Amino acid sequence: MLLYGLDFLVFVGIFGIVALSLNLEFGFAGLANFGKVAFFLVGAYTYAVLSQIGVPFYLCLITAAVIAAAFGFVISLPALRLRADYLAISVLAFGEILRLLIKAEHGIAGGVWGITVSPAISLAGVSYRVDLLVNIGLVYFCLLICFIVAQLLANSPYGRVMRAIREDEVAAEALGKDRAKYKAQIFMIGSAMAGLAGGLYAQYLQFIDPYMFMPMITFTVWMMVILGGPANNWGALLGAGLVEFFDRGANLAKDYLVLPVDPSNLQYILFGALIILVLFYRPQGLLKESPIKTKALELVRYGRGVVNNKPGK
Amino acid sequence: MEEALLRIREVSKHFGGVYAVNEVNLDIREGGIWGLVGPNGSGKTTLFNTILGLYKPDHGAIYFNGKCISNLAPHDIYGEGVVNAFQLPRLFNRMNVLDNMLVAARGHQGDKCLHSLFWRKSWQKQEEGLIEEALDILRLVDLEKWAFSLAGELSGGQRKLLEVGRGLMAKPRLLLLDEPAAGINPVLGKSMFQKLKDFSCNGITFFIVEHRLEILFEFANWVYVMDRGRMVAQGEPHDVVDAPAFYEAYLGEG
Amino acid sequence: MTVNWAQILFNSVITGSIYLLGAVGLSVTYGLSGFPNFAHAEFITLGAFIGYFVAEQLGLGLPAALIVAFLVTGIVGFLCYRGVFQPLAKRGASIIHLMVASIALGFILRYSIGAAWSWHPLYFTTTWSAFDVGPLRVTGLWLWLIFVAVGLAFIMHLILTRTKIGKAIRATSSNPELALASGINIDRVIWITWFVGGGLAAIAGIFRGADTQIWPMTGWDIILPMFAVAILGGIGNFYGAIAAAFVIGLAENVGVVALIAVGLSTEYRMAIPFLILIITLIVKPQWLAMLFRRA
Repeated sequence: MLLYGLDFLVFVGIFGIVALSLNLEFGFAGLANFGKVAFFLVGAYTYAVLSQIGVPFYLCLITAAVIAAAFGFVISLPALRLRADYLAISVLAFGEILRLLIKAEHGIAGGVWGITVSPAISLAGVSYRVDLLVNIGLVYFCLLICFIVAQLLANSPYGRVMRAIREDEVAAEALGKDRAKYKAQIFMIGSAMAGLAGGLYAQYLQFIDPYMFMPMITFTVWMMVILGGPANNWGALLGAGLVEFFDRGANLAKDYLVLPVDPSNLQYILFGALIILVLFYRPQGLLKESPIKTKALELVRYGRGVVNNKPGK
Repeated sequence: MEEALLRIREVSKHFGGVYAVNEVNLDIREGGIWGLVGPNGSGKTTLFNTILGLYKPDHGAIYFNGKCISNLAPHDIYGEGVVNAFQLPRLFNRMNVLDNMLVAARGHQGDKCLHSLFWRKSWQKQEEGLIEEALDILRLVDLEKWAFSLAGELSGGQRKLLEVGRGLMAKPRLLLLDEPAAGINPVLGKSMFQKLKDFSCNGITFFIVEHRLEILFEFANWVYVMDRGRMVAQGEPHDVVDAPAFYEAYLGEG
Repeated sequence: MTVNWAQILFNSVITGSIYLLGAVGLSVTYGLSGFPNFAHAEFITLGAFIGYFVAEQLGLGLPAALIVAFLVTGIVGFLCYRGVFQPLAKRGASIIHLMVASIALGFILRYSIGAAWSWHPLYFTTTWSAFDVGPLRVTGLWLWLIFVAVGLAFIMHLILTRTKIGKAIRATSSNPELALASGINIDRVIWITWFVGGGLAAIAGIFRGADTQIWPMTGWDIILPMFAVAILGGIGNFYGAIAAAFVIGLAENVGVVALIAVGLSTEYRMAIPFLILIITLIVKPQWLAMLFRRA
């Protein structure tokens, strides 16, 4: 049971990173990235291929992030000029093409049979439990870095521009913000984070194949962000925890409960219903959008009296 | 003759065979308030959007400060110093009023990705100054006490005021205002024009579309009249009122 | 290698017919409601399963299966719009929220289907004897498919041009504000298109299922080609969708020949519509839409 809990924590950490990255793209900048799994896949396969030729794990992770960011940049060139719906469809299609490519080209990384990945830090003769703890340390270290990056970006004038582009990109453009440049940057940062998470995923599972990168992953991450609260980094983490918990719960229920409906079906039916309920009754998610906090703003707001509490001025 | 700040030469813009703007010529010199009037559908807003780079002109060229801007992207035109306040306010609704103002600020170092991540000191001082400026402008447009309310919660008139305030925040050389007094009560509208007049002494040139002719004509130095996409008259307000083309534009040919 | 081009053309017509049935509803609801409905994939799947239920489990044959699947899935399509998308849109949901809602709704439908039937692929047991017509190898199923697709397209064309409701649909899709001003009940028009779109998707599902296999991913497997058709043909454009369905059907079948010729895996067949989709999106969608509209 403890092992199960630790394994759960690793998954929350990895998907927490992906949720943070989608939150940057969708929550803050309003970009409908329906192809998140593509960048996750790029990171995972980069890690797998590099680790097989003996590159140390930290370089593998960094390269995974860089290559994923490069893919993000290439995709962003044409795609980000598109409307939200076209962007969603074309990035989704891109993810499917990429998966097809990996599946069909056996030379790249084992094709449809998958590829084994060596673990990041292998200590000779330690128990599975210690190994899990090492993984938790590594994953949460990466999560911490991504969280700090996301928070710094969100609470800065840059975060203000991201939100402005989400709210009205034409107005932002007319106020001097090069929307194409901003969107490309955000897409690259988001893709780098997803790539990093992909690398961690590959090294933790020690085996990957194309069927692990179905569009379902993308939608699971969307669920995390929508549920937790778009434009709130704590919300993304909360969403990641809740969705993973729900997922595990359904798997446990399969073993302990007798239900008229197969729990693995029921789980996704409930997922779907939950999303629709959230969109209906709490579209801002569990945690509301966090306002921009910079040192200067805090000074005005709290240092010199709260401005909007002076009635009739 | 002194060099015009904004020069529009033979600019046309059509949508599927209908000329919204037809061979328009226009000069705006530095300083003061310049008016643009005409009946609904005469092409005023299209002309503004063409100046801003939101539409590419089909023919002709637009020069700002001697430089051709008709092929620049909107954000570059902002960079040259032309800013606009939209007729229907395009506010960032889920951001507060102060943040709406700060987005417009010119040359904010923190707008850069790497600065916001690794070099926060470089812009924090600047941001304090910008906030002071933003609050000053908000005070002028009577929105200071709403600084931390969401823009989406403002009333129609307040949205209009914030749109104008955001334009001022961008420290433009030329500010295009599309019906700034529409939906605002007449007294406030007049006092807003008075304030704009003060600003125009500090180096901002205004180019204003306004349907409330009585207010505009009181403050404008020069007025252009458009009708069905063409520029039909221009002159000082008291001359334009007497021009036959002005009456024709508003009353029709009959 | 000799290539039987007549067969390839014929296969293109078959592929195109399925895409036509599947994509027309997607395109028209996309155009009228303003968002891409990803749950359209599940309309296709649901149709396939209902068709299987009627034709195989009840043993009532293909024509009855087509009619029942059309009606039931049409009603499901209508209910999805009336019960979820319309109220969400009225609450001011953004296009991204509507897309997410459609995916969530798709989950509900897909896994409900999985629970009601199973995740193991099902096959129609009716065997369709193949026979040769000149150089062509033909089965009865394919002839049925072409007959139904062409017939329904023709009926749709008559409805759109000859009836009051058809004219209302066309008016609404070209200019909703004007249609509203001229007294057209836009809500009713949109409800009808969701009903018909769902019904047509169901028919596509039955033929796709009979031609390959039936499982809860039947629709999702071909949803991206459907989007390619809808976008290539111009969103909301009925005739554009018909033309685009056959263009993409042809591209896929010719593409397979090309893939074999250059020694690539035929798995890439599915990448062809994706590529057309992405290229279409990049090369000005409006331009293509106008091309079809003028025609």
